[in-house]
Amino acid sequence: MIARAVPADATECALILAEASRDRHTVRIIGSGTKSYVGDVGPTDLELSTSHLAGVIDHVPADLTVTVGAGIRVAELSAALARAGQFLPLDPPHADQATVGGVIAANSNGFWRARYGAVRDLLIGTRIALADGTVARAGGRVVKNVAGYDLDKLLVGSFGTLGVIVEATFKVLPAPVASSGLLARFARSADAFAAANAVARGASRVEACVVEWGEGPTWRLALQARGSGPTVERAVADARREIAARQGSTHELGNSLAAMRELPARAMDGALVRVSLPIAAASAFAETAARLETLAALVADPASGVVRAHLVGDDDAVVRDAEALLLAARVIGGNGRIERRAEPLRSRLPTWPTPPNGDFLMRRIKDAFDPAGILEPGRLAFP
Amino acid sequence: MRGLTTLLGDSKVLGAHDDLLIYEYDGAVDTATPDAVVLPESTADVAALARFCHEHDVPIVPRGAGTGLSGGAIPVEGGVVVSFARMARILEIDVPNLRAVVQPGVINLHLSTAVAPHGLHFVPDPSSQKACTLGGNVAENSGGPHTLAYGVTTNHVTGIEIVLSDGTVVRLGGKAVEDEGYDLVGAFVGSEGTLGLVTEITVRLTPLPEDKRTLMAAFATMDEASETVSAIIAAGIVPSAIEMMDQLATQAVEAAVHAGYPLDAGGILLVEVDGPRDGLDEARARIEAICREHTATEVRVAASALDRERLWAGRKGAFAAMGRLSPDYYVQDGVIPRTRLPEILKLVMEAGARHRLRVANVFHAGDGNLHPLILFDSRLGPDELERAKAAGLEILTACVEAGGSITGEHGVGMEKNCYMPLQFRPSDLAAMRRVKDAFDPDGLMNPGKVFPTPSRCREFAFASTAR
Repeated sequence: MIARAVPADATECALILAEASRDRHTVRIIGSGTKSYVGDVGPTDLELSTSHLAGVIDHVPADLTVTVGAGIRVAELSAALARAGQFLPLDPPHADQATVGGVIAANSNGFWRARYGAVRDLLIGTRIALADGTVARAGGRVVKNVAGYDLDKLLVGSFGTLGVIVEATFKVLPAPVASSGLLARFARSADAFAAANAVARGASRVEACVVEWGEGPTWRLALQARGSGPTVERAVADARREIAARQGSTHELGNSLAAMRELPARAMDGALVRVSLPIAAASAFAETAARLETLAALVADPASGVVRAHLVGDDDAVVRDAEALLLAARVIGGNGRIERRAEPLRSRLPTWPTPPNGDFLMRRIKDAFDPAGILEPGRLAFP
Repeated sequence: MRGLTTLLGDSKVLGAHDDLLIYEYDGAVDTATPDAVVLPESTADVAALARFCHEHDVPIVPRGAGTGLSGGAIPVEGGVVVSFARMARILEIDVPNLRAVVQPGVINLHLSTAVAPHGLHFVPDPSSQKACTLGGNVAENSGGPHTLAYGVTTNHVTGIEIVLSDGTVVRLGGKAVEDEGYDLVGAFVGSEGTLGLVTEITVRLTPLPEDKRTLMAAFATMDEASETVSAIIAAGIVPSAIEMMDQLATQAVEAAVHAGYPLDAGGILLVEVDGPRDGLDEARARIEAICREHTATEVRVAASALDRERLWAGRKGAFAAMGRLSPDYYVQDGVIPRTRLPEILKLVMEAGARHRLRVANVFHAGDGNLHPLILFDSRLGPDELERAKAAGLEILTACVEAGGSITGEHGVGMEKNCYMPLQFRPSDLAAMRRVKDAFDPDGLMNPGKVFPTPSRCREFAFASTAR
């Protein structure tokens, strides 16, 4: 039987962890549970929910910072910030449900990354409950701070394996006054990526710039700009020019970006491969993927080099194609993971097929923070 | 010594007393003489040196250009200082991937100059950028005026090669925005040489903004200048830089640089917006209007690139100009939430007065990063520096009580390690210590830095006042 704990504060959370460490009880940490498909966590003795560690703790609009409980949903935080004319510049998948703690733990970013930075760039402080029963604070509540080690960075993408994030402070921004976007279609991937790169590197700064492969094949480019009126107009005009120069057709953006962003949420069958590449390699990688028999969907953020490919079909073919894509990513200087896969593929496709550089250091860090190995066993293949 | 020269050759090792003297100080106020200085020429040299030091239990202290402001490069517990002056090559400029791969001894400004023909730059621009090295920037997680909008060093480093204190060479990250597993690059940047030696750095290059608008606004008082900063942010404008200077600093700068700042102003703001040309005049006009609403006595917009250079030359030359006012200065680097600027600036001036020392302020107002320059004269006796340090401690205490930090970009080093308990509780420090032990279990990397040491911190007994 799995016990469930819903700590009311950081201290209680730490006490629960101390007891679990003592009794060698394994713990799974749950925000909204949207990304539980990552890694290989089996049933644990305890499920620890962050749902009571929620709410906005401190928001001083003029300081452009906000401190929240980790269990707050990103959507709820965004609504609170919007009331003050501000926004958290993160657009992670699972937008409706994802919690702040989960977004940090999973390093869950969207398409705004190249424009505003990733979770690691926006997070300036955390409070964490540790396996030894202590509560530690990393970073702070000011936007600039180099006192001591930047433990926040270690927590981003740690998937709960080092401790429970109970509180987080972010940099926020004034909400832009104007917004506009468009969608373009191209017959050739090279044209779609060339247009995307021209826009992403141009003087006008777009907020999102995403290429999606579709049957046909067609290559769609979704662009969004937000900012002051003149900057948005300029960005859209620049984008139209780059698209026209490459024989693209333009269309209404609609909710295409949200659909592209939510690919991980709907990729329940087959396997979802996620790679992070040197940015100029995204185009060639996408073309390689487009030739695969099992490719069902592909979404590339050429400005950050993050590409997701959803593979569907016969199990053997999916495994073969997934492995080929991860190998291709490594060959061109990137890295990748099987972000999600259907249950029957679990044993054949480990999430992390190859250990990253410095895995021995990661293992030492893990052992130092969680010597009993109770936190999220199996979530990361390493440490 | 003999072991080192046998290992690396005469040309890479300094041991004569006169040679060592150059390495006993950095940009801060503390000094200590190294036992030896090594000038490696490759990662292999660094690894061999680390293995040697590990075998002989000798501390290793990395050093870039020695411009650091917290004693980070000072061998406070003796040992070997490793200067990266001979590992100063730009290895690759990868324009399609917006990355450069550099050796740690490359000077910050040299990189931006090298990539400028491609329309790119390296964002962090510390005031010492003409001299400071990228290895030093990685160690200290350096900032600069333009970090307000574009982030500090850690936001612009995607890969590093490091040598651990046992000689192990590890490559972390690369040209992609992230690697799998824990973000060890993020943990290493800003670790002040206490986790390992960085021997290669992959940095992000950023397209230069299409255009800029720079304006200087003068106010009768620092309060009015501070309130203007908050008003600009509250209006939804995020400039790329907002710098502030008080009258004493202005006078020193004008004498040295002739930047054209009005000498009668109580406070001066230097504000820059950049980006696509189309929005800039609107943003500039709004900032100008806000300055005037807050009773600016003068607002001047740089009319040319030369004009802008001149305004910035004043700001960037400010620390150097302090020589006009005083033979010595002790600079603090506390950070506060920017809304608390007026009250904390008042406390800063009171702390100076209490210790009978003048304080000049030149700082990054936009992100609340203070730089009070406490002026003293060491020729008048050791008491002068002691009083400067006492005033500095009072200022940092006020910063932490306001919800801030003891350092925004200069690092903790050996200058503020005893003050760490002001900001961090024992459990916070213990968590950091675990990371230290994972990278450097024998404690040979830059000992006596960042963490409070029992021997030197005995006189300080703080309880954290941080929230």
